[in-house]
Amino acid sequence: MSLKDILTPFTAWKRVAKDPVTVKDPFNDRPGADRYRGFHKNDVDVCIGCGTCEEICENEAIDLVPYTDPKDGDSGLRPRVDYGRCCWCALCVDVCTTNSLVLSNEYTWIAVDPEEYRYTPGVDKKAWDDNEKGWKKPEGNYEFYNLKREDMEHLHPEDRSSSFVEMVKGYSKEQAQAEADRCVECGICVATCPAHMGIPEYIKAVRHDDMEEGLRVLYETNPLPEICGRICTHKCETVCSIGHKGDPLSIRWLKRYIADNVESEKYKEILNTVDLDNKDKKVAIIGSGPSGLSAAHYLSLMGYSCTIFEQYDKAGGMMRYGIPEYRLPYDSIDKDIDYILSLGVEIKYNTRIGKDITLDQLGKDFDAVFSGTGLHLGRGTGIDGSDNEHVYFSTDLLRQITAGDEIEVAEKIVVIGGGNVAMDITRSLARMQNKKYGKVDIIATSLEREENMPADREEVVEAREEGATVNPGWAPQSIEIKDGVPTGLNVVQCKSLFDDTGRFNPQCNMDNKRFFEGTMIVQSIGQGMDLTYVSEEFKKNLEFGPRGRVQTNQHLQTGVNWFFMGGDIIVGPDVIHGIADGHRAAIGIDNFIQGINFEPAK
Amino acid sequence: MIDLLKDIENRFQTFDTVHQQKRQAFTTVDKGRAIALVTWLKENSGFTTLTLLTAVDWIEDGVFQLTYLLNNPDKGFELGIRVMIDREEATMESSHHLWKNMMTYQRELKEMFGIDFPGSPRLNESFILEGWDDIPPYRRDFDTKEYSTTTYFPRPGRKTNDPTEYMKSKMYPNT
Amino acid sequence: MDLKNMFQMKADRSSYMEDGQDGKLITDLDSHKLLKIWQGPQHPGVTGNMSLELTVNGDEIVESKTHVGYLHRGFEKLMERRKFIQCFPTCIRMCVAEPDPNEYILSACIENLSGIEVPEMAQWLRTLALEMARLQVLLRGVPGQAGTFALGLGYQWGNYIRDLILDRFEELTGGRVYHMYILPGGVRGLLPDGFKQRMEDNLKLVDEFLVNINDLMYNNSVFKKRAKGLAVIPVDWVDKYGVYGPAARAAGIMRDTRKTHPYLKYAELDFEPFTTTDSDVYARSVVRWNDLKMTVDLIRQIMAKMPDKGEIKAPTPNVMHWQIPKGETYMKCESSRGEYGMYMVTDGSEMPRRVNLKGPSYTHANALLDKLLVNANIADTAAIMVSLATCPPEIER
Repeated sequence: MSLKDILTPFTAWKRVAKDPVTVKDPFNDRPGADRYRGFHKNDVDVCIGCGTCEEICENEAIDLVPYTDPKDGDSGLRPRVDYGRCCWCALCVDVCTTNSLVLSNEYTWIAVDPEEYRYTPGVDKKAWDDNEKGWKKPEGNYEFYNLKREDMEHLHPEDRSSSFVEMVKGYSKEQAQAEADRCVECGICVATCPAHMGIPEYIKAVRHDDMEEGLRVLYETNPLPEICGRICTHKCETVCSIGHKGDPLSIRWLKRYIADNVESEKYKEILNTVDLDNKDKKVAIIGSGPSGLSAAHYLSLMGYSCTIFEQYDKAGGMMRYGIPEYRLPYDSIDKDIDYILSLGVEIKYNTRIGKDITLDQLGKDFDAVFSGTGLHLGRGTGIDGSDNEHVYFSTDLLRQITAGDEIEVAEKIVVIGGGNVAMDITRSLARMQNKKYGKVDIIATSLEREENMPADREEVVEAREEGATVNPGWAPQSIEIKDGVPTGLNVVQCKSLFDDTGRFNPQCNMDNKRFFEGTMIVQSIGQGMDLTYVSEEFKKNLEFGPRGRVQTNQHLQTGVNWFFMGGDIIVGPDVIHGIADGHRAAIGIDNFIQGINFEPAK
Repeated sequence: MIDLLKDIENRFQTFDTVHQQKRQAFTTVDKGRAIALVTWLKENSGFTTLTLLTAVDWIEDGVFQLTYLLNNPDKGFELGIRVMIDREEATMESSHHLWKNMMTYQRELKEMFGIDFPGSPRLNESFILEGWDDIPPYRRDFDTKEYSTTTYFPRPGRKTNDPTEYMKSKMYPNT
Repeated sequence: MDLKNMFQMKADRSSYMEDGQDGKLITDLDSHKLLKIWQGPQHPGVTGNMSLELTVNGDEIVESKTHVGYLHRGFEKLMERRKFIQCFPTCIRMCVAEPDPNEYILSACIENLSGIEVPEMAQWLRTLALEMARLQVLLRGVPGQAGTFALGLGYQWGNYIRDLILDRFEELTGGRVYHMYILPGGVRGLLPDGFKQRMEDNLKLVDEFLVNINDLMYNNSVFKKRAKGLAVIPVDWVDKYGVYGPAARAAGIMRDTRKTHPYLKYAELDFEPFTTTDSDVYARSVVRWNDLKMTVDLIRQIMAKMPDKGEIKAPTPNVMHWQIPKGETYMKCESSRGEYGMYMVTDGSEMPRRVNLKGPSYTHANALLDKLLVNANIADTAAIMVSLATCPPEIER
């Protein structure tokens, strides 16, 4: 009890002289810090309504409520936050696939009505919508899912430029699981896929290494997974929500991974199609392309016996005869087609409707007929010299290459066209030139400029890697012919393709001319349909719409009620559209034969 | 630590040893030998600190796993002893004579899991819950979501939509 | 009742109870010699929400029972129904006063079970966040001891400086009390510009505060008279009852997880926790004062040694469906009250099977407090509780 101990505490009095510390107006003078987690803000134009914020919230504070009509890539829903449950952890901001949801730094909100505290940020206007500061997703390497795609190995250009071996190698198990891990299961891709495949479900099957479940999910909507897994136009990938800030999921390669990893012998067992019931009804299918095969598959599952009439000697349609082997090897086509045939489908090769059997006869012998004949005819430019025998259509050449026939392979070739088919024929001919001459000299030119070319970007890049020249932006004028053999193509620069209203109206600069040398010209500017198997008499009962296409109702039934059509001749041109049409037609044929009435084509 | 693990394996027939970090390991022992092992570790091996006693409900196997976590402060070893006991008749020998704070852990396990430790002081007094008449709540067959919606009254007016289903109903309703 | 006795305030032992046969006192409430008093749950003399059921004889406590349960939010059971990333905002609320160790040990358990390496910069930032959390708790904890003896002045000083530290937390993490900054894989942001300067300004205030508190409390005759000799913890109780942290160090046994099991960047920092041997309330208070001084020094070291930039998060599997294979682990860290640990069991699904948080107050407030309060005065219960720094939310989670 020393004197020091009694007197020292009184030194605290020295603080009397210090200024007090108060914030006079805490509401206005004290804003939240730059990173403060305040109230929600959402940019409703950028937000796609994917729902990852709803899924990650551990308090179940977010609901998705309708805001606009859904369209491709946007579900039309927007998040509504309930502040009675939110804890402001900002996990919803960190996981947002488009970075549209952020938190402002506002922290005071006084309201009389408690229902106001459930609000849709961005839709219900609030005072803090203009605040610049607040919690945004941290910069740098901070991600909740991997934004980069697993690379797919391709064969090197030197190895592939002279052979037709498949150039894409496929995923290994680790790569597939790493790629499948990136999915956030939002489901926006399902609506965009023409066949509405259950994409999040089969990606989950890859994640869990459950190939049987994956195969079942695939076959619910798509009986050609090996094929689609290689050449589908992957509309789903263009709307993948991860694609907004990173690389979209490689949905196509994952589909291929599942199909590759199940042996054909196991298909019937896994898909439970060992015994199918029989309804004693028969359906004829014209064309063994994707729509015909898909219709045959689903009709067989429903119990109908199907007969396919195919004009060539192998099945597959444009998949076999239009797509080169290095993109879609014939084994894959056979694997898918053999399974469908194993369900009891009969196929008659080298049989042409209209020649070997008429359409009316089919109508008598069968209970319904489905036609999926596709677009096999090439379309010509009509320019001078295009009737020469060394001027070919790409569709004819591709068919001949597949059938193994000899075709002319000139030393210098010019291809007119900028789509995927033009790239296919260019690269096929480049390979054949390499084999025959040891060098490549082929030019592909198109009306569209490079950035507008309808071909996939990878096709153009790979074509150039293989030695072809792609020179877009030129309009063909005429073909120079000398001694009955073309010498080359005259082109002028194409300045613009569509006018202000969006109609096709090419404008050319006639002063800027070029001459592409070549003794063989290939036209690849479009495909046309061949309806010669439908007699003129029959056509009177059908209704035709724009571009000469037959009109059908939503069940793909034409004006003749037992005649259904689908695939490229109705819509497309796409394998997946054909598959979706085949499925829809199968359901329509089933309803028709069972006697469920519906209105015929309008 | 490896020598210690081998030693107790020989003496007490432990199995399923997992030694994932340098100074931490978990091992399983039979119910009859568990308290003997814990006492031996405390008296002879320097594991004088009890870190915790907890239980894990493996409902699909029908067992509770009791974990005694012991700590040797001098060497810094952490050893977890797993004991599997039957889920229907959940009792275990009490070890409150070893550490004074053991009785609190045993009281909590009795209340939360329903595991009986006969002889532990103040065992049946409620520790956390007051007036609880349902099954012990930490068991896996107790559904907290159902309890919460029946006991409390969530504010009405919440309805959510799934993006896939909503897009399907609006964009292609016929299929 | 003589005059000498009256001024010395000794208990009247003439009406004391007899010892029973097993050595325990017979607390026969019908004997009219005893009184039952409930201290708490809403009581300024209780640290948080728990209650003490005291059986007193006059002013002297004969038996005490701790009752907890007012703060049971069922977090451990809730976490069994949440994915791993969703557990992270839930577990932080288990201890209210010092939330950062909760985040850290949950993240450490998940990273340990899935084998994720946290990048260098993130480890420094985590260390800084943990030390700042300790700083803001001790700024109220150290003068709080005097507050139990009715000297509230230091607590007011500490509260103000704590508010400034919370401002620093707000800049760094986005929240003042619940930071949600350390998550599995790393942290959620780098230091903002000018942070180090502002932190240094605040630390100068803390230095001044330490000197003022030394004058106010440790050179204070009243404080010394009341606190010295009160609630002594004998050395052999440390393991018998499970005493951790400053209470163990005041008894002479060095228990500090930062030194014995270095985690994060503590192995690279230079510090020596303070120990003393008279383990009464006064000694525990001195140990905490030294802890606070050491924390200030540690923060200065961390800010000097930290790199300027780096990655803040390691790549983790997609958090929406993160599955961890079957396993169990126990990770621990040092909070201001003692060793803080979490035992996690996973079973291969997206949610943990069992999460058990163990805070030091679990043993301090139940078994130890019941024993320490015997023979103390009612007026001293608050002092004893604060000296053990019991925090009820971590007892019942």
